[in-house]
Amino acid sequence: MSSEAPFLEIENLTVKFGGLTALDNVSLKVPQNSVVSLIGPNGAGKTTVFNSISGFVQPQSGEIKIAGQKTAWPKTHKLAALKISRTLQGVGLFSGITALENVMLGSDHKYKAGIVKDLFGLSGRIDRQLRDSAMAQLERFGALSLADKFPHELSYPDTKRIALARALISEPELILLDEPAAGLGQDDIDELAETIRQLKKSCAVLLVEHHVDFVGEVSDQVYVLDFGRIIAAGDFESVKKSPEVLAAYLGGEVGHA
Amino acid sequence: MQTFLTALFTGTSHGAIYALVALGLVLVWRGAGLINFAQMGQAMFSAYIASTIINHHINYWWAFIVAIIAGGALGGAIDVLVIRPLKKKSGSSILSSPSMRDAIPVIASLGILGILQSAAGMIWAGEERGFPAPVSTLGLSIGKRAMPFTRFDIFVIVLIWLILIATTLLLNKTSVGLAMRASALNMEVARLSGIRTRSIRTLGWILSGSLASVAGLMVAPATNVSPNSLDLLMIIGFTACVIGGLNSLWGSVTGAFILGLTISFINIYDAPGDVFLGIFAILIAVMIFRPSGLFAKGKARNV
Repeated sequence: MSSEAPFLEIENLTVKFGGLTALDNVSLKVPQNSVVSLIGPNGAGKTTVFNSISGFVQPQSGEIKIAGQKTAWPKTHKLAALKISRTLQGVGLFSGITALENVMLGSDHKYKAGIVKDLFGLSGRIDRQLRDSAMAQLERFGALSLADKFPHELSYPDTKRIALARALISEPELILLDEPAAGLGQDDIDELAETIRQLKKSCAVLLVEHHVDFVGEVSDQVYVLDFGRIIAAGDFESVKKSPEVLAAYLGGEVGHA
Repeated sequence: MQTFLTALFTGTSHGAIYALVALGLVLVWRGAGLINFAQMGQAMFSAYIASTIINHHINYWWAFIVAIIAGGALGGAIDVLVIRPLKKKSGSSILSSPSMRDAIPVIASLGILGILQSAAGMIWAGEERGFPAPVSTLGLSIGKRAMPFTRFDIFVIVLIWLILIATTLLLNKTSVGLAMRASALNMEVARLSGIRTRSIRTLGWILSGSLASVAGLMVAPATNVSPNSLDLLMIIGFTACVIGGLNSLWGSVTGAFILGLTISFINIYDAPGDVFLGIFAILIAVMIFRPSGLFAKGKARNV
């Protein structure tokens, strides 16, 4: 594992919003089959890292390597083709369509269908395959019965399951999870932790999370951001003891967050 | 009874035409977030093109197909050449306020309407042209009984229902349709799911342009073709959208049929002069009691 190049490598990422420096020379690596977490106080720039990777934000400088290849910062609609998928803070499901259709939209197989084929009815087979694999994803999360429900009819943990299913249907090599545990009860968090451990077998995970116990439980590597800079990196136990981190963020909260 | 049925059939046939206009407006509204005031200008332009083809003694149906393609091409061109560049200039200070960002493309569409009407005036000297119908517009008799509808009414109703059904199938049963609906619901998440939202938006403009062209060709036998001949249709189509709810496809279509029937019954039982009174009475009632439209879910958008 360690001999392979990390799936994602970011070097010296700097993002400015007007006069505000949101990220300052941030570098991080996400090795294959590992879980890497970004933690830090509100406004530290965690989500901005995600937004840079997913093309919502144009960085001022910095380099990105995907699967060892130096590339341009990805365009949002190309992300799925690069085998990267992302969940959003909150939920980000489409409100007017069913859970099943939401999951179907996560697949990059729909590239193969096009307007011309659609008009001549040739895409029926692809549509059926897409539907089947979306059903399989729902089954994986025990959410088969929710297929025809609309997002506003679902409980909050269920919408999060659907969002995760949508992110996974494209079989990504890297998944960016933005606060997956936020708003969940302990049972759902335990289930999520188990899901992430399973995910690690097939892809890399980059996690932004406030729930410190959860981060400690699932992460192989933790980066701590504060005011746009990385102030500590390493495994959870060592990061927890770093004086900068204690001063900046964790303080006395560790252990009962 | 005969009068009642005549009003019913005429209203349904006109309502169907309004429905196409409304559908076109809704497609662009959902994709691009603006009311395309140039829509019937595009239709007028393609009706002139069709009329020119027919004047060269070429079959009606070729003209029909060319007009549909021309309407779609105009729609696509407007998006790519005008609307896209306007959205891209996000760095400019005038576009930094959200309300201006919404308003400017709408104003641009009014400008395009002006350009299309002037261009039609220059190219075709603004002449009012008659326009043929593909089937007879005179009263139809079966045996000795006069029917309360014409062949053309039936043709319009059948053709437009086929188009409405095809559009619904496209939106609900295909992956492109799913992508269109998703882009309308949430642009960011749609892009994140790998949908090329800009291309999808252009597709909406193309579809809308083609639908508007069909609508234009269906009213042209009654209104003739001139640079301003479709202005009224635009007003009625837009009113239908407001009545039914701009975000709801079938709501707008239903609104269009409500208007078609209202206009037809007022025309026949009351006086043509009261038609606008009727339209505005409905519009005002809807704005008061259900400001986001009869069939809309969710909240009204404050314009």
